[in-house]
Amino acid sequence: MTTRFYRLLLWCFPPSIRRGFGDDMVRLFDAQLRDARIQGDSPLRIYVEAIGDAVMHGTAERVGAGRERARRLIRAVGRWRSWMQAIRQDLNYALRLLGRQPGVTVLAVATLALGIGANTAIFSAVEALLLRPLPYHDSERLMMLYEKRAAEGVLDNPVSPADFLDWSRLNGSFAPIAAFATETVDLTGAGEPVRLSAEKVSPRFFEVLGVQPMLGRTFRPEEALSGQHRVAILANDLWRKRFDADAAVVGRRIMLDATPFEVIGVLPPTFEFPGTSLSLWIPLALEGGPQPPSRTNHYLTVVARLKDGVTLARARSDMDRVGSQLQQQYPEANRNHGASVSPLSIELHAPVRESLIGLLAAVAFVLLIACVNVANLLLAKAASRRREMAVRAALGASRLRLAGQALTESLLLGVCGGGAGLLVAGWGIALLRRIAPEGVPVLGVDRVGLNPQVLAFTLVLSIAVGLLFGLLPAWQLASQDVSESLKDGGRSPAGVRRRLRRTLVVSEIALASLLLVGAGLTMRSFQSLLRADTGFHPHGLLTAFISLPDGRYPDDARRVAAYNEIERRFAALPGVRSVGATSHLPLSGQDSRSGIGVEGRAATPDTPTRAHPRAVTLDYFKTMGITLLAGRNFAASDNPDAPFVAVINQTMARRYWPGGSPLGKRVRLGGNMVRWREVIGIVSDVKHWGFDRPVNPEIYLPQRQMVWDGLTFVLATDRDPALLTAAVREQLRSVDPDLPLSRVATMESVAARSVAARRAAMLLLGIFGGLALVLAAAGIYGVMAQLVALRSAEIGIRMTLGARPAAVMRLVLREGLVQAIIGLSIGIAGGVALMRGFRAVLYQVSPADPVTLAAVSATLIATTLLACALPARRAMRVDPIVALRH
Amino acid sequence: MGRTDLLADAAWRLPLKPLVFQILLTLADGERHGWSLVREVQQRGGFGRIMPGNFYRTLRATLSSGLIAESPDRPAPEEDDERRRYFRLTPLGEAVAAAEARRLEAAVIEARAKRLLAKRG
Repeated sequence: MTTRFYRLLLWCFPPSIRRGFGDDMVRLFDAQLRDARIQGDSPLRIYVEAIGDAVMHGTAERVGAGRERARRLIRAVGRWRSWMQAIRQDLNYALRLLGRQPGVTVLAVATLALGIGANTAIFSAVEALLLRPLPYHDSERLMMLYEKRAAEGVLDNPVSPADFLDWSRLNGSFAPIAAFATETVDLTGAGEPVRLSAEKVSPRFFEVLGVQPMLGRTFRPEEALSGQHRVAILANDLWRKRFDADAAVVGRRIMLDATPFEVIGVLPPTFEFPGTSLSLWIPLALEGGPQPPSRTNHYLTVVARLKDGVTLARARSDMDRVGSQLQQQYPEANRNHGASVSPLSIELHAPVRESLIGLLAAVAFVLLIACVNVANLLLAKAASRRREMAVRAALGASRLRLAGQALTESLLLGVCGGGAGLLVAGWGIALLRRIAPEGVPVLGVDRVGLNPQVLAFTLVLSIAVGLLFGLLPAWQLASQDVSESLKDGGRSPAGVRRRLRRTLVVSEIALASLLLVGAGLTMRSFQSLLRADTGFHPHGLLTAFISLPDGRYPDDARRVAAYNEIERRFAALPGVRSVGATSHLPLSGQDSRSGIGVEGRAATPDTPTRAHPRAVTLDYFKTMGITLLAGRNFAASDNPDAPFVAVINQTMARRYWPGGSPLGKRVRLGGNMVRWREVIGIVSDVKHWGFDRPVNPEIYLPQRQMVWDGLTFVLATDRDPALLTAAVREQLRSVDPDLPLSRVATMESVAARSVAARRAAMLLLGIFGGLALVLAAAGIYGVMAQLVALRSAEIGIRMTLGARPAAVMRLVLREGLVQAIIGLSIGIAGGVALMRGFRAVLYQVSPADPVTLAAVSATLIATTLLACALPARRAMRVDPIVALRH
Repeated sequence: MGRTDLLADAAWRLPLKPLVFQILLTLADGERHGWSLVREVQQRGGFGRIMPGNFYRTLRATLSSGLIAESPDRPAPEEDDERRRYFRLTPLGEAVAAAEARRLEAAVIEARAKRLLAKRG
C-alpha cells in the first residue's frame, strides 16, 4: 500500500529520475515511515511531507530538465545555423567561381553529363530488368525445375509428363508445383484468323505464381484430364485487341485449331510472363488420354513455389532424393536422370544478365575517364588559385574549411553534371528502346525509365563523382605550404604538378584503351559471327508459317494435298525461283529432338543416339541453298507407300558412322515399332541453333512420309523478298480463306533476329568506346595545353639557345607519345585480361586478337598525336622574349 | 585537468549545500550504492528527516555537475544486485569537498577566536 502510494507520487518526477532512482526512492520512503513509527511520530506527517517533497522537487526537476533540453536545442540550432551559413557561403563562392570561367564550367558539366547520363541510362535498364523483384507475390520463393543429366552435362533439360506427375507426388518441398509447355494454335471466329501462342499449363500454374484472374476463374483440377480440357483463359492484351475488352467474353465459345473452347477467364493487365502478352492459356491435359503419360518425351517446363521454411538447399536435396527414387523405379527411362532446382528470377534474368553487366562496366569506365578529365580541369584551376588559398590560410582559415570550399565546388559541378546527365539519360533510354532487340524473353522492358530508384542512383552517383574528382584538387589546395606559396607568388613546384598531370593522362589513355579493347573484340567477334558459314544462303528468301488445323485437315492425305497445292501456287508467283518447306526453320528457335535407332549400333543410356528430325519438301534444300554432299535428294516417288528414306547432315554422318559411309544404312525414329528408314543422302551442316552454337545431328524426312501439322514455307526470289508478302497472302486465301499466315519474314531478318541481342550489345559498346575516345582526346588535349603553358619559360630558353621550332614541336609530341605508350600498355594488358574473363562472349576471336590490339593502339596513338598537335604548334610559336619576361 | 585547474574549478562551487557536502564526505570513504549512501548520510545526522525527492534530486544534480560519478566497478557477483547503482567521488568532487571543508574549518577557527564555541564548551 505504501509502495503503491509512493509509486504514484513518483509521477511528479521526470522519467530520467523515475527510471534511475525510482526503486531507491520508494525504499527510502518506506524506511522513513518505519523510522517514524519506531520513534512514535505520526505516519500521516510522513505522508504529507512526502507529498510536499515530491511536488516541490519533482516540479523543480521537471522545470530544470525542460530548461536543459531547451538549452541543448538552442545550441544545436546555433551550430546548424553556422554550419548552414558556412555551406551557403561556400556555395555562393563556388557559384561565383564557376560563373567566372563559364567555358571551363560548361566543359566540365558537359563531360560529367555524358558520363553520368550513360551510366543512368544503363542503370535504368539494370534496375528494371535485373534488380526489381519479379512481379509475383513472394517471388523469391519461386523456383524452376529441370531434368538434370549430370553425365551429359545438361542441367536444364525439359521434363517428361510422367516425371512431372511423379515429382508433384513425391516432393516435400514445394507447395504448388506446375508445368507448362508452349504451342501454337489457330484462333478462328474472332475476327481475321490468327495464329497465337498457347501456353498449356497444369491447373495450379496460376496458384504457383499467385495470380488471380481479373474476370472469371482459373483452371480446376479436373480440367487437366483429357477430354475435359476445352477451356481457355485470355491474356489481357489479347482480350483487349481481339475481344474489344468485352466483359461478357467469359462463357463465350472460341475456335482453337477448329475445336470449340470455352473462355473461362481473363488475366489482369498486371500479369506478365515472358513472351505471353498475346497468349491464350489452356489446361495441360497429361492424364485421362488413351496413352499413359510419357516418360521419354521431354517437353515440359516446371515452376514451383517453395513451402514456407524450406530453403533452396533443402529443396535441392529433396529433389535429388526424388530423382534417385525414380531412377531405381524406372532404370530404363530415368537412368542418370535427376532434378535440378534454380530460382525463377535467375532463370528469367539469364538472357540479359551478362550483356547488361558488361555494359555497366563499360559505362563505368566512360565515367572514370570523365572524372579524370574534370579532375584535370580543377587541378589547373587550383594551380591558379594557390595564392588566393595561401592568403586565406594565412588569414586563419582552417585547412578543413579550405578543403571544404574546394569540395563544395566539385560537388556542385557533380550535381550540375548529374542534372544535365538526366537529359542525356532520357535521350539514352530512348535510344536503348530503339535498339533493344525484340522478342528477348525478359520481363520489365516496358519499365525501363527514369523512376525514383534511378533518380536516387543518379544523385548518389553525382555526389560520389563530385567527391572523386574533387578530392585531389582539394587535398592539393589544403595541403600546400602557405609560406612557400606566398613567397613564390602562387606558382607551384612544377615537378610535382607535372608528374600528377602525367599520371592523369596515362590513366585516361589506359582506361580508354581498356574500353576500346573490349568494344573492339566484341565487334570483331560479331563480324566473324556474321561471316560464319551458316550452311545456307539467306539472301532473297521469304519465309512464312502455315499450319493446318486438325478439325478441317484430319488425315495425312488431306494435309499433303493442301501443302502441295500451297507450294504449287507459291511457285507460280511471278519472280519466285523455287519454293520449299520445312517443319523447323533454321535460326527461328523451332526445334524438336528424338531418340533414334541406328542399325548395328546399340544405344546405351550413357551413349544415347539422338537426332533432330525435320520434315521437308522436295525443293527445300535447293531453295535454301543447302548443299547435297553425297547420295541423292528426295524424289516425288518417296511417298508413304514407298520405302522410308532419310537425308542426314554431316555431323550426324560423322557421329554415328565414323570412318564409314552412312549411305544405304538404316535408322529409325523412336522405338522398335517404327519402320526403318534408309539413309539416301548427306547434306552440309546448317547452323540451326544460332551462328555461334554447335551443330547437332539433324535428320531430314520427306514431308510425305512424315506429315507435320505446320510448315514454314520458304520462297526464293531474285527481287526484294518482302515484296512477295501480299501475293503470298492472297494465294493462301484462295486455297483456304480460314488459314492464318504467320511469322512472315525474310530469312535475312530471321537470321538478324537471332543475333539481335548481340548486335545491340555491340552497338552500345561501340557507342561507349567512341565516347571514351572523344573524352580521352579532350582530356589529353587539356593536359598537354597546360603542360606547354607551364613549360613556356623553359621552351623560351631553349629557343633562345637556338632550338629550332620543329625540335620544340617534337619535344611536345614526344612527351605525349610516351604517355600514350605507357597508358596503352597498361590498358591493353588490362583489357586482354578482362576479356579473358568474358571469353564466352567472344566468337572465334582470341582476347589477344592482334588486329583489334593494333587497331586500338593506332587509334589511340593517332588521337594522342592529334590532341598534342595544337599545344605543340603553340609551343613552336612561343616568343622567347615574352616567355622569358614572365 | 591539472591540480591548479581543479582548485580553480572547485573555488566557484562553494559554498556547498549541506546535503551535497554530506554525500561527498560519505563517498570519501569509498564507493557506495545509492541506498547505503542515503542511510549513512542520515545516520550522520543533522538534517532531520531526508525525504526521497530532496535526496535523489540532489544526488542527480551532484552527478551531473561532475562531483561524483557512477562507478563501473561492481562488487563480487554474490553480493551484487544489478538494480543497484554505485557511486564514487571524482577528483573534482574530492577537490571541492576539501575546499568546502577548509572553508568550514576557517569558519570554525573564526568562531573559536570569537569565543563562540568556548562559551558553550
